[in-house]
Parts: sequence; structure tokens; C-alpha cells
Amino acid sequence: MLNILIVGNGQCGNRILDAINREAFGKKSRFAKFYSQQKYKSNVQTIAINTAVNDLREMKFTKAKDRIHIPHLHGVGANRNVGKHVFDENKTHIMRQIEERGHFDVCFVMTSASGGTGSSFTPMLVKELKEKYDYPVYALVVLPFREEGTLYLQNAAFCLRDIRESGADGIILADNQYLKQMGGNVESAYNGINDMIARRILFLLDALDSEMMMVTDLGDFKTVMSGGAGLATIGFYEAESELPVRGAIQKALSPSGLLFSTDVYEEASRAMIIIRGDRERLSIDEISTEVEKLSSAVGHVFKGIIVRDGELPQVLAVLTLESASELESLYAIAVDAIKQERDKKDRVANVKEVDRAFSQIDGMDPSY
Amino acid sequence: MVRSYRLLVISACMVFFCLALAGNASATVELYNKTIEMGDGYQINNYVIDVTDVFSDANTASFYVYNNNNKVKEFLLSTGDSFEFDFEGDAKVKVTLLSVGSGTLPVARVSIVISNYKISDIYMNDIVDGGHKYATYSGTPNLKITKTVDKSEIGVGDLVRVTVTVENIGDDRAVDVIFQDPQQAKFVLYDTFVTHTGQTTVNVGESKTLFVYQLKATESGTYPLLPTTASFSNTASLKFPQASSNSPVVTVGASESLVSAELEFTTTLDKYTVNRNDDIQGTIKIKNNGDTPATAVTVSILVPDGLDFKGGSGIETISGTPTIYLESFGVQQEKEISFTLKAADVGTYTISSKISYLFNNGVDTQLQQVSSDSVTNSIYVTKGKYDYLFEQPLYMYAAPLIIIGAIAGWIFYRHKQYKF
Repeated sequence: MLNILIVGNGQCGNRILDAINREAFGKKSRFAKFYSQQKYKSNVQTIAINTAVNDLREMKFTKAKDRIHIPHLHGVGANRNVGKHVFDENKTHIMRQIEERGHFDVCFVMTSASGGTGSSFTPMLVKELKEKYDYPVYALVVLPFREEGTLYLQNAAFCLRDIRESGADGIILADNQYLKQMGGNVESAYNGINDMIARRILFLLDALDSEMMMVTDLGDFKTVMSGGAGLATIGFYEAESELPVRGAIQKALSPSGLLFSTDVYEEASRAMIIIRGDRERLSIDEISTEVEKLSSAVGHVFKGIIVRDGELPQVLAVLTLESASELESLYAIAVDAIKQERDKKDRVANVKEVDRAFSQIDGMDPSY
Repeated sequence: MVRSYRLLVISACMVFFCLALAGNASATVELYNKTIEMGDGYQINNYVIDVTDVFSDANTASFYVYNNNNKVKEFLLSTGDSFEFDFEGDAKVKVTLLSVGSGTLPVARVSIVISNYKISDIYMNDIVDGGHKYATYSGTPNLKITKTVDKSEIGVGDLVRVTVTVENIGDDRAVDVIFQDPQQAKFVLYDTFVTHTGQTTVNVGESKTLFVYQLKATESGTYPLLPTTASFSNTASLKFPQASSNSPVVTVGASESLVSAELEFTTTLDKYTVNRNDDIQGTIKIKNNGDTPATAVTVSILVPDGLDFKGGSGIETISGTPTIYLESFGVQQEKEISFTLKAADVGTYTISSKISYLFNNGVDTQLQQVSSDSVTNSIYVTKGKYDYLFEQPLYMYAAPLIIIGAIAGWIFYRHKQYKF
């Protein structure tokens, strides 16, 4: 049985973590925690870290002892510098909390790249974990909506770079901008994205610790994640009706199944495909055909098959990327954002129009 | 001389009694064998044998025989001679002159023998000083008692005057007379004007009023009044058969003045089939259908075990029995009294009521009491809606409670686990 640590940093990380814990109960009801048990196959420990206590309070399916509040007003205000400073001050406390939960085989750190606490804590936490432990640490990073503002874009750009430099064994990308195609209002969109990520992560954890007809294990996952440019994404499809497994694989690799916009046949470097479903529905020929098609494009594809009686086909694809045109686009926008922020700051510093307005009443006193 | 005379008399009496005990009507018994002074007599019942003259020189004596003071015979006897005369019935009395003597008063020694007579029938047998004029004769008093009424047809509640008179139509005075006038059924003694107590005497030919009183008829019918009786003796202290009066008949018709209270009691319940623990509303309706008010109206509600009396307006619980008491209840008055029962146990029950009241019927001096019972229809008490809960064994409650407690504990534990 694997020992897995999942850390959710900041508001986004907390919510994804809570969604994972909720999905682990296997029920949709908000009261599932009262009458059900989490169905983790592995020894999964979850830790939510945040400077905003309200974000921690909003979590419903994560135990109180697993929610670590780092006191700093009510957040760091999307300021990564402040966030880093706060992490430094509380690093010992955070690491002790992790230490107390034992030894792990793998760690996933989830965060938004654009926020304050998550984007600043995650690189430094990954760095600490890598320095202190020998297990692989993977960061699941959620990229912001492009119209969310210059600060978020700036944070995302620097956060991704910092995580990559922190020694993370891989970065799994999820893009809000890409996922907002799901539609709906902002809240349902966020919740939907969180649920999508949660289901994929749970499927992955389940697959890494299951007996398979064709084996993929943590070692294979490490190999996949070590390929390419250190960036990865996850595709997933769960058939809702009688759909040939071939179609399920294609759906998982299609834009609607991926967390990040990419052409897997063009930009993927390595892949791992895990297929789960009833034996009767898992046609080896169809699976081989699709896997061969993918491997002919990306090189090596690990495949695993989990047989579950009565289940419709479900397909999870982990893909590492050699390149990411979408990420380049993001950085291009981020550069503009950084420039805008810097220009505004310089303008305020140089022009001092407000100071001129105030100077008009120098030497005068109010008369009543 | 007087002493010896008494001794002789006593001896003669003893002989007489011995003979009497040996009583034989046909026997011949010597009643007397002694001397009798001239002028005296010897009485046997109502017969007196007077020694009218004694001629000592001639050894003769003359005798007169009186029956009830009437001379029936006279005869002269020489010493040793006898004379016999008819006595009562076939009896004969034989007088024998035994001797004569001279003295201050001449005496004749005689033997008096009676035959064909029952000795026990002799109630007088003795010397009579002074002869027949001083004898005591025994008569037969005859008391005629008459009971009359002033009217022989009356109505209930009407009065009848009763007069009892007595008249001695016999030939002797009635002494030691005791009159008895028995109490009359169906009548009450309303008033007394003349009464009589103790012993009295009724002389021959005397007539007197004994009783005058009024009776009040209490019930319709034809009633012969009980006769007035009298027990008495004659002057010789002979007791006579009881005298009895006539029995006048009084017919008592129904009177319009007789009234009554007729209370009608009805007990109804709002339901006769109830679940256990349910309430039953009961109503007792009282109505006076009579023509006079009732008093002291009492209704005792006998609630059986299995039903509980919860209360009611105007009902007091006395010695554990719910009781309605109404001091008076007018003619045609109606009253409804409600009460509530609770069905405590499953079963079939009836509610009994004991009812009593008094009223004045306008005739009797005492109040009339009426008592009756009434019983309701059966009340069926079935199991209550939740009775089955109490019939379950303890574990039926303990198990769910433990489960609920465990669930609550688990929820609290989980809540604490996830409460941040």
C-alpha cells in the first residue's frame, strides 16, 4: 500500500483538496462524512495550508486536524513576496506537521499559480520537501483565467518558474481558462474544475495502488513524469453509456478530457493510459489500437487495465509535454502584465500627481 | 266455735276437691255434713238451701230452696228424714236432717248429697250467713260491642270517623273488662277523640262509648275494619268467651289528592367503543315527570375498575363514588349533568347508577322514598393507538436507543473531527 501525501496550498489548493476528500467518500451528499468512510486504497494523508482562516473554514470534508492555519491577517493579498516571508516564518511549524504524519512514497502539492498564499508557499514547500525527503513531489498547478488581472498573471508566471526551480519532480497543469468551456457561473465553474481535478487525482491514486491486468505503478508514473519539459497534464473520460473503450480513450485525449490545452499527438513526450471497466467492455484490440496510435506519436505509452465488474469504461491519461504552446501564450500575456504593473508603479513614483494636488494647500490652515 | 267451723269448712273443701279430682258426673257426693244455724243457708252454685226454722222440741226443721233468689221448694223434715230436689240438668240434691240442737240459735245438723253432677262444675259451695238474701248469685254478662263509621266510601287521604260502643245486655255485671282495638292496615290514625285503657266494669244494661277516632286512608281498596274485642268476667269472677264487635267495611277509592314525583334518569355516553386511554363523555339527564317535587335526589355512579372517573360538573366523589346530590327537583324540571371517564384498561364495561329520591305524596305524613338502578349499554375498550409500544420487550426499546445513541455519538464525533 502506498503512502501518499496531498497538500493543498491557498484557497484553490484547499478547495481541490476538499473536493478530493469529498470524492473519496464516494457520495455526493454533504452529510456523507457522517455515515460513510473515505475509500482511499492507499494511506492518503491530506493537509490544507492557508493564511486565510475563512478559506479553511469553508472546507467541509477535510478533518480539522488536517487544516493548518498560518496566521497572517486574512491572507497575503496576492503578494507573493509577503507570502514567501510568511512561509519562512512558519516553515518549521509546517514541516513539523508534515513530519508528524510519517513517511510517504509520493507527494502531490496543489495550488493555484495566481493567488498569494498558494503561489508563494508551494515553491518553497516543494523545495523544503525535496531537501528533507527523498520521495517524489509533484505540483498540480491551476493556471488563472486570462482576464483575472495583471497581478494574477504575473504571479502565475513567476510561480511556475519558481516551482520548476524548486526541484519538483513534475508539474501537472490545469488551466482555468481552458476549463471554463464547461460554462456556468463563476462558482459552479470553479467547483466543476475542482471536481474534475479531484476525480482525476483519485483515479490516479486508485490506479497506482490497484491490481491490474496490465500493470502501471508508481515507478511508471515517475518515468512518465520525468519525461518532457517537466510539465504534464491529465486527460480523463468516464463513459456515461455504452461507449466502446476506443471512444473513451479518444475522449480522454481530446480537449474536453484534458485539464490543459494541448495537442497530445504534437506536444506530448510520454504518456500513461489507465483504463478501468467491466471485462466485457474492455476490448484489448481497441485499446491496443488507440495506444499504438498514441505511442506512434509520442514515443512510449504505459498502459494499465483495471477490471471492475459492471463498470462502464473510464480512461485516465497522464501526459508529459515537450512543449506547451498554450503556456507560451500565457507567458506572453504575463510579460505584458508584468510590464503594465511596473509601468504603473514607475508612473506613480515619478509623476506624483497626487503630491502636487496636496502641495496647493501648503502653509495654509483651516478657518472655522 | 268460729275456728272449728272454719276447720270444718276446710275439711269439707278438701273432700270436695278430692271428689272433684276424681270427678264423675254420676257419682254421689256428700257436699256437707255439719250443722247450720237457723236463718243461715247453704249455697250450691245459684241454689241456696235456707234453714228457716228449727224445732228442737219436735226434732224437726223446715227448709226453703231458692234458685237465683227465687224460691223453688220448701219442706219440713224430721230427724232422719230426707228431701231431694232437682238441681242443674239431671242432677239431684238430697238434704237429710240428721239432728237438731237448741242454743242461742237452734241448729240443724244436715247432710247434703249431690248426685249426677260433675263436681268440677260447682263454683260455689258454702254456708251463707243470713240465708239466700245474702248469697252471691252468678249471672252472664253479655257485652255487645258496636263499631260504626261515619262514612263507608272515602278516597285515599280522606278521613273516616270510627266510633266503638259497648252495651251489657247480659244479666250480670261484666268486670275486669279489657277492650282491644287493633291497628288498622291501610289506614293511619289521624286523630283520637275518645280512648279507653285499662280494666273497666260494664254493668247490666249499661252502654258506654269506648273509642272515637279518625283514620286516614292511605291506599285504595275495600277494607273491613278489624273488630274491637273485649275479655271480661262476671261478678262471680267467671271468665267468659271474648266478645267481639262487628267489622264495618270501608271502601277507599283512588283520590285525586295523591301525588308523586316520577324522576326519569337517562345515562348516555358519546361513544361505546373507545381506544384505551381515550376519554368518554357521559351525560346523565334527569327529568321530573311527576306532579310533585322530589327532594334529596341522589345518583351514585358506580364506575367499574378499568374505567377512571376524571370529573364532572356538579359531581362530588364521596367515599370513592362519584355522586350527584340535588336538594330539590321541581315538577317538569330537567337537568343534564356531564362527566368524563377515561378508559384505563382494555375490556367490556357497563356503568351502573344507583338512584334514590324522596317526595311527599300528599297523603302520608312521612316522605316516600324511591330507589332504582340503571345500567348503561356495554362500553368496549380496545387497545390504544400506541399500546403495542408497551407490549414490546425491553430490548425492543433498548436496541433502537443504543443504535440512535451510537449514531448520535458518531455524528458528534464526526462533527468534532471536521469542525474547524
